[in-house]
Amino acid sequence: MAEQFVSKASEFKDGDRQIIRLGEQEIGIFKHEGKFYAYSNFCLHQGGPACEGLTIAGVKEHLREDKTSAGLYFDEASMHFVCPWHGYEYDMFTGEQVADRKLKLKKYEIVQKGDEVYVVA
Amino acid sequence: MSSPKAAAKAAPKAARKPAPAISAEPSKSEKAAFLKAMMEGIKPGSLAAQKSAAKKEPGARLLGKVPKTKASPAPKAAAAKPARTSAKKAEGAPKVEILRKISGAAGVARTPESERAFALAKELEAALADGKLDLIQPPAMQALMGALCKVYSANEDSGNRYPILAGRAAVTGTDVMIVCGALLKAVDLQVFELGMWQSWAGR
Ligand code: FES
Repeated sequence: MAEQFVSKASEFKDGDRQIIRLGEQEIGIFKHEGKFYAYSNFCLHQGGPACEGLTIAGVKEHLREDKTSAGLYFDEASMHFVCPWHGYEYDMFTGEQVADRKLKLKKYEIVQKGDEVYVVA
Repeated sequence: MSSPKAAAKAAPKAARKPAPAISAEPSKSEKAAFLKAMMEGIKPGSLAAQKSAAKKEPGARLLGKVPKTKASPAPKAAAAKPARTSAKKAEGAPKVEILRKISGAAGVARTPESERAFALAKELEAALADGKLDLIQPPAMQALMGALCKVYSANEDSGNRYPILAGRAAVTGTDVMIVCGALLKAVDLQVFELGMWQSWAGR
């Protein structure tokens, strides 16, 4: 496993993404709330570009005491990214497919050294 | 929606007999690989370009050397095998190649009025979650709704067009239908008039 330079951290703004190729692997690198996350860009469903779709907070539901719904809301503490092909939704923090957490995108470690961002692969 | 497995179960037995090779359905992964290749095309720097370069140039590293211009064709049979061997021998780790940069939403400086609107929206959402439906009394709701309608439509007219709901707003289709219906009723408009206006005005 080697560290490979990806980008200057200062050029990587919060909310930005980079899709890189490293050998035969394609990796999506996200910066979310100051932290970096990197996953394989090959969707577990049918190989679509998993990291290139919408990013969206998780949708949850307010339940009243009697368990009736008081409406849906976005849970800002969570963040998902959605494969643009057929909508597989992945957890930004773990790479798990949120509808079936047994399915997980391959995760890559990101190392930041000063202003430089490296991917470990 | 029936799953592919269920569909396969439901299919008559005859349909599952091995079909002649020419009409055989490619596997899921083959379809995905085909679609991906179609999307990518053979563009400089792509895996397809690297593979075709490796086939064309016996000495080329599969993962390193990518032709910037079209390489002159080399005899296929001679090229294929040595390229694979040289790829195995390639020294050092492959280099990072940036394929795409996707920018996040542009940060917009918020005006004090926008800040107040955000705070009010948050307060209303929180109250709703607590079951306090009457936090805003009807006259205040009417004033707010009227002002929002006018400001949004004035912006539209002046060419400052933007989606009325943020992508993240959790508003259901039912919410929208209730509000739209109530707004149309308030100004005595029928749905067909809205449709007519939209088709005339090209909206
Ligand atoms: S390929 Fe990603 S959802 Fe189908």
